[in-house]
Amino acid sequence: MTGPDKRRPRLDLVGWSATSPFGIGRSAFAEGLREGRATATALDHEQWQVPAGRACLVPDFEVRAVLGKKGTRMMNRVTGLAVGTVGELLADMDRSALTPETTGMVLGTTGGSVQSTLDLTRGSLSGERPFHVEPGLIPYSVMNGAAGQVAIWHELKGPNATLAAGRSAGVLALSYARRLLLTGRAGVVLCGAAEEYSTARAWLARHTADPAAGEPLLGEGCAMFALAAAPADAPAAPASLVGVKAMTCSDGNWAAVVRRCVEQVLRDADAKPTDVWAVSPSGAAGPGGDAEQAVAEELAAAGGIEVPVAPLVGEGHAASAAFQLAAVLSRAETDERSTGRLSLVTTTDEAGTVAAALLRHH
Amino acid sequence: MDDVTAAGGQRPAYDRVVVTGLGVFSSIGVGVEEFTEGLRSGRNGVSPITAFDTTGFDHANGCEIRDFDPTPWLRRWKQEELGRTAQFSVAAARMAVADAGLTDEELRARRVQVAVGTTDGESQDLDRLAADWVAAGPETWDPETARRVGAGRLSAAVASEFGLTDSEAVTLATACSAGNYAIGMGLDALRVGDADIALCGGADAMCQKSFSAFYRLGTIAPDFCRPFDKDRQGILTGEGAGVLVLERLDSALARGARIHAEVLGYGLTCDAHHPVQPNQSSIARCMQLALDDAGVAPQDVDLISAHGTGTRTNDVTESRAIRDVYDSAPPRTVSLKSMLGHTMGAASALAAVACSVALTEGFIPPTINHRETDPECEIDCVPNESVPARLRVVQNNGLAFAGNNAIVVLGHYPADSDSDSDSDSDSDSDSDSDSDSEAGSDASVDASAVADAVRS
Repeated sequence: MTGPDKRRPRLDLVGWSATSPFGIGRSAFAEGLREGRATATALDHEQWQVPAGRACLVPDFEVRAVLGKKGTRMMNRVTGLAVGTVGELLADMDRSALTPETTGMVLGTTGGSVQSTLDLTRGSLSGERPFHVEPGLIPYSVMNGAAGQVAIWHELKGPNATLAAGRSAGVLALSYARRLLLTGRAGVVLCGAAEEYSTARAWLARHTADPAAGEPLLGEGCAMFALAAAPADAPAAPASLVGVKAMTCSDGNWAAVVRRCVEQVLRDADAKPTDVWAVSPSGAAGPGGDAEQAVAEELAAAGGIEVPVAPLVGEGHAASAAFQLAAVLSRAETDERSTGRLSLVTTTDEAGTVAAALLRHH
Repeated sequence: MDDVTAAGGQRPAYDRVVVTGLGVFSSIGVGVEEFTEGLRSGRNGVSPITAFDTTGFDHANGCEIRDFDPTPWLRRWKQEELGRTAQFSVAAARMAVADAGLTDEELRARRVQVAVGTTDGESQDLDRLAADWVAAGPETWDPETARRVGAGRLSAAVASEFGLTDSEAVTLATACSAGNYAIGMGLDALRVGDADIALCGGADAMCQKSFSAFYRLGTIAPDFCRPFDKDRQGILTGEGAGVLVLERLDSALARGARIHAEVLGYGLTCDAHHPVQPNQSSIARCMQLALDDAGVAPQDVDLISAHGTGTRTNDVTESRAIRDVYDSAPPRTVSLKSMLGHTMGAASALAAVACSVALTEGFIPPTINHRETDPECEIDCVPNESVPARLRVVQNNGLAFAGNNAIVVLGHYPADSDSDSDSDSDSDSDSDSDSDSEAGSDASVDASAVADAVRS
């Protein structure tokens, strides 16, 4: 792409919500972020079979307590997080204006619920017969189980996608939603990402920790956004999506690829670094996160503010970029200096993904 | 790009999207040539499962790729750095790019959308972690295995294989229709102008998790997969990968690429109804969206590649949805799963490759293992033997758990409307193209156990 395409509709962010270690809902997120509240707590080892330690969990989040007992008997945590967050998002929107058939749903993930997947196979390996697995677990042991349940709970019949991209999933979900809108496949897309804390994920994180950085403090949660194509004469929403760009670091030179990705997303929008009001890097440990941090500091030096999230809510993996998006939206709502300016969210994932999203505040 | 929402058949030349490369790993053949012969001769990919210990199952046939060796197809990756599913996705992408006549340098000079669909991700590694957990606890996990299980690697590894930088790599985890989702994503990335080339498809490996789950649901066939047969008993799980290279028609013509087929359009719907049972009206709506996006009418479609799992429920629901859209006169409708098994996230990608082959080679692959069509499945499934046919438009169905429906429509290139065509890719054989349906038959089983459990 060279330059913004003026013929295209503006893509407005017409709503968002989050279920995060700050608590359930958008206001809890905004408040926790404003206070800069740390959320790590000691783990309950009755519930989690993990070594002694801390994590940033959504406080008091039990699926059946939050969503009720109907249809939730076997529902796993990541599905509960997604169903609940979309419920919060829709509660703030005019449901009657949404047509189920043209309302899309895009959920980012790392690998669904690795816990549910492994639980199913463990059941096969340890049962009296290898097919004595729990049938109610089956839909949740597949990566699209959560998005499918969100669709059922909230009657969303438009394009429904689950995409796996680790820490970058939130930005790639936004990219996918953008194309669904530009091609007219949906009129509104609810998009974002979710990650659950689990015993399995904690052990994966422990075994794959960067030795230099040590074991990460894990977070969890879900943030969801409503993205809609706006007619040219429609009144401006609080924010709109200006651009998304994703690249791949194939050669280990994270610094170069992060820089190129950020430059490209700004260039596509005809924007200058000084147009950036806020920048939120992933805060990931390792060379990708370091490269993001360097770019964020340069943009901050050029007049932007930095909005770090991971130091407060932990390493959210798939939820990370979604929380970063929520954070810049949240900060902009109470800072009028954001008006007319841009927010940049950057993200990197060990698999090689480098991505950036650019929002404009109105 | 003028109107990115215009139907496929109504687009200017620079804005049409074509298939210029195919890569395929399947139980009936590796590479397009062998795969084509398998399709033409109605080869059965079934054999006893070896990927995991099948002791305790009363029957355990599947469609594995025996003696799979990715090493001829890996340049930057070493085999041991990738799990089996990523080996499939990378090797199939490498094969597709070679088929497209593109060098790594040429790819690196373009913006490349990579989209890989999957159901189970790096499933054999996950099986391994589960086994180690049962045997000795998660503290004994192998770090290398743990590092490989993020599903995003299936697509990111493809981008890395070619040394790409300006490449959005996405893994679509939409289960058994994920291959079609990936093709749709590639199509839209090109239509919107975000990419110059798309490498898209799907991959999955044989695993205990999926087999046990389908077995528990009573949907694993004891011997063969018999879609649309009155005595069908379910699926056989399979494995493999299919990757397609997509680019704009003007790009393909400019570099003198061989054009396999045109991607006319696709559709997506979600049932929002039940986690594992298909929904007739939602499937019908998906077909209609795909046909509308392609700019074709039902009577233009010469062949449907059905999702056709061979379960009682799927085949009757899907054939009824087809008859809804096709006004009770559907074209011939085949199930490639009769030959390939259910390859999960690879299924609709392998089927799309087969559709492309059918268009260029001028034949309809059969539905094998067929004895008597179920009267409840009123379609002509082309039993057991392929037939020559001049095909212009083919519809490829993909349905999935979670009600994720994705349907792709491919067209012959050049199309009949391409009057001044200079392509030599047209290899129509003459043939019957009468496509009236005959009786089909059949009804279904599936997932009442799950239904009850998840409803509770």
